[in-house]
Amino acid sequence: MSQLSTTAKRAGWRFASSLPALFGVLVFTFLLMRVLPGDPAVFFASGPSAGKEEIEMIRKQMGLDKPVPEQLLRYLGDIGAGNLGRSLTTGQPVLADLRSRLPASLELTFSALLIALLTAIPLGVAAALRQGSWVDHLVRFICALGVCVPTFVSGLLLIYAFYYLLGLAPDPTGRVDIFTSLPPRATGFLLIDFALAGDWEGWRAAAAQLVLPAMTMALFVVAPLARITRAAMLASLGSDFVRTARSLGLPPAKVIVTYALRNALLPVLTIAGIVFSTMLGANVLVEKVFSWPGVASYALDALLSSDYAPVQGFVLLMASIFVVVNLTVDVLYGIADPRVSVE
Amino acid sequence: MSILRTACLASMLLASTALPALAQSRAETLRHVTGAAINTLDPNIPGSTREAFGLSLLTYDRLLSFGKKQLDGKWVFDLDKFQPELAESYTVSPDGLKITFKLRKDAKFHDGTPVTAEDVKWSLDRAVTANVLGKGQLLTGSLTSPDQFKVVDAHTFEVTLPKPDKLALANLAVVYPVIFNSKLAKSKATAEDPWALAWLKENTAGSGAYIIESFKPGETTILRRNPDWNRGSAEKPAAFKRIITQTIPEAATRANLVEKGDADIAIDLQATDAADLEKKGKLKVISTPQYNAITFVSFNNQMPPFDKIEVRKAIAAALPYEDMFKAALFGRGKPLYGATWADGKAPTGETFPIAQPVKTDLAEAKKLLTAAGFPDGFSTTFSFNVGQAGTAEPMAALLKESLAKIGIKVDIQKLPDAQMSTLINEKKVPFFTEGIVAWLPSMDYFYRNFYIGPIRWNYSSINDEKITEWAQTARFEPDMAKYAALGKELNTRHFELMPQIPLWQPSQDAVMAPSIEGYVYQFHRQIDFRDLSRK
Repeated sequence: MSQLSTTAKRAGWRFASSLPALFGVLVFTFLLMRVLPGDPAVFFASGPSAGKEEIEMIRKQMGLDKPVPEQLLRYLGDIGAGNLGRSLTTGQPVLADLRSRLPASLELTFSALLIALLTAIPLGVAAALRQGSWVDHLVRFICALGVCVPTFVSGLLLIYAFYYLLGLAPDPTGRVDIFTSLPPRATGFLLIDFALAGDWEGWRAAAAQLVLPAMTMALFVVAPLARITRAAMLASLGSDFVRTARSLGLPPAKVIVTYALRNALLPVLTIAGIVFSTMLGANVLVEKVFSWPGVASYALDALLSSDYAPVQGFVLLMASIFVVVNLTVDVLYGIADPRVSVE
Repeated sequence: MSILRTACLASMLLASTALPALAQSRAETLRHVTGAAINTLDPNIPGSTREAFGLSLLTYDRLLSFGKKQLDGKWVFDLDKFQPELAESYTVSPDGLKITFKLRKDAKFHDGTPVTAEDVKWSLDRAVTANVLGKGQLLTGSLTSPDQFKVVDAHTFEVTLPKPDKLALANLAVVYPVIFNSKLAKSKATAEDPWALAWLKENTAGSGAYIIESFKPGETTILRRNPDWNRGSAEKPAAFKRIITQTIPEAATRANLVEKGDADIAIDLQATDAADLEKKGKLKVISTPQYNAITFVSFNNQMPPFDKIEVRKAIAAALPYEDMFKAALFGRGKPLYGATWADGKAPTGETFPIAQPVKTDLAEAKKLLTAAGFPDGFSTTFSFNVGQAGTAEPMAALLKESLAKIGIKVDIQKLPDAQMSTLINEKKVPFFTEGIVAWLPSMDYFYRNFYIGPIRWNYSSINDEKITEWAQTARFEPDMAKYAALGKELNTRHFELMPQIPLWQPSQDAVMAPSIEGYVYQFHRQIDFRDLSRK
């Protein structure tokens, strides 16, 4: 009980202390967008008959006719009221766009992270146990391959092989086959929604659609995770408590899993948190290649057309997620190693 | 929200039907893949994408639509021929000032309300009054004020023009003057938004061939056929029961989908993919040179050294046209270079653009450059949009290489689209490539919109008294012989001044399943799905 309350207190304190950073991100993005070259009003007024009048109209609509400090104040006011503005690229309120697209990105990232962890941890452990042998070299080779092939290349290759040549994968567009009916939206995570609706055929369709993009993303992050696992495993295998456990004659599997791996997971957890946050933002290319309706490709489109509101909304969202992820890692840390939560 | 719910219900119903029925529905469904997004249901909203224009042609009717004609064996829209849509017939008074439309009596909006002259009046008033895109377009057809539109009776409608204008009817057939269900729209209007701009952006109030089933901007739009629609040429509803337009950003994936037969049609593939698919011969590929578009190399004619005609002509003589055409478009399009004009005068005047008598001649280029006072050349930048990088990048590299041979050092600048638009609008780009499109590609329209005044679309910033005068006169010239004579003068003058160098008209490659029929190249460079059917 007391551990729970200290954890909650810690989490609360951590969260409160991250608020100034969020505010800073807010103001910084706002100013950054305004100093970038390119006038969004001119860009959007690109119809065949668009003249000065139309440009002025869009500028006014976007609130760009006001001085920057006033724009900032209005923007902060809007944020306070939960209004992130409206995207000109999609024509929808940014909040609605993000809300409908975030689950897609999260579902993809979670799946990819899961695949990556399930691959990377055994690989890392194997490499650490057979340090210097061919297993170690093979793992290093796989890691190097994963990191050096850019995601859009591996994505297109996977599509070419599994969709175009072999015909095993469904067509690589979006989250579910276009002819499949969607489940009623409960969480926005298709796998969960299909399961809730009891539509297992739909669930399979959504899962099949998820495999290639998730693998593409996982391929890219296996390397850091496997390397960290390997290093942490080596450190803990060489430590006193493992030596003690071994000398006591405990079964090797128990020594490796319970004593070595559990202690080695701490740094892996940290890296996984960071990897998750970066993946969420950095999977633009994967989302583009697989027409995945996620937040990253949304923000990129907006950025290319100087559409301020979605970019600002996206950065704010990413910053908030970063805070939440750090918080979660922190709490998990406390559970994995109780010494951490002692103030 | 309710659209979503309906879509869910509809798709659940669909899913519950037996398998043969599903296979059937696949045959009656057209899946269209595109790289861009539909961002509004009302084409009038500033910022509308071309895909949104395409959609509005399906969900809304206009008074008229363009007919079609054959150009080099391909079906394209015909600027001078109209087919009835909501108007059953129209008559133009002998003095050309009054157009009277007889409306169809059987036309109904999607909610069942009959279409009346009141709806037409409200819609056209909106197009010329509200802060919408239609305003700027319709004035090119002398349609500027609600006073010009009159309801005679429930099914008769009159348009009055201040001067006879060749483009008045054509302007009523473009995407902006769509006819709204005025009762429905008015019920959604507010004091600040009397024309229901906000509501119509996300809802349709039309009478068109298709009804929106679901609309996810940037992802998919699903349309259901309107069974009561009979405004097509064959007096029956459109052929496809459902149309799915899906945004697929990756061009290679779009090509794969069409090739595998998972998608039925795409018009915006990379030139390489289109060429490749054509070679494989499994699909139907219809390449139509975009006869209302031009890709050109432009200069700012007000900015030294491009304010000198000799410099512009020197560059025109130094461009490696053939190599550029092959590298950028794989030769898919219609070249606008390499013509021979016997007496130095333009051979035709009814049309623009026409092929220019320019060819690569470095000795001549060097001579012109020396005459301009730059025997050693100069340094400049050549800019293009990131969005056009696929074609502009190889082109720019070849241009740079060729110009270096006559001493012009070129620094290539690849600019984000928004930045490029801004710089062009502020007239700050010296030397660049751009593409233009005219919905209504008449000769005078091109000259009036792209070669006159301080507007953004006057890319070369040319300010020539003669061009201005002739183009404005041509607009209201009813005598076709005189019109052609003016055009001949304009085309000749264009070549003499060389404000910019037309390069080519890129092809629109429509790649489709072999069973799809009826494709017509349209003015807005989108597919009019009402034309299509499956054999």
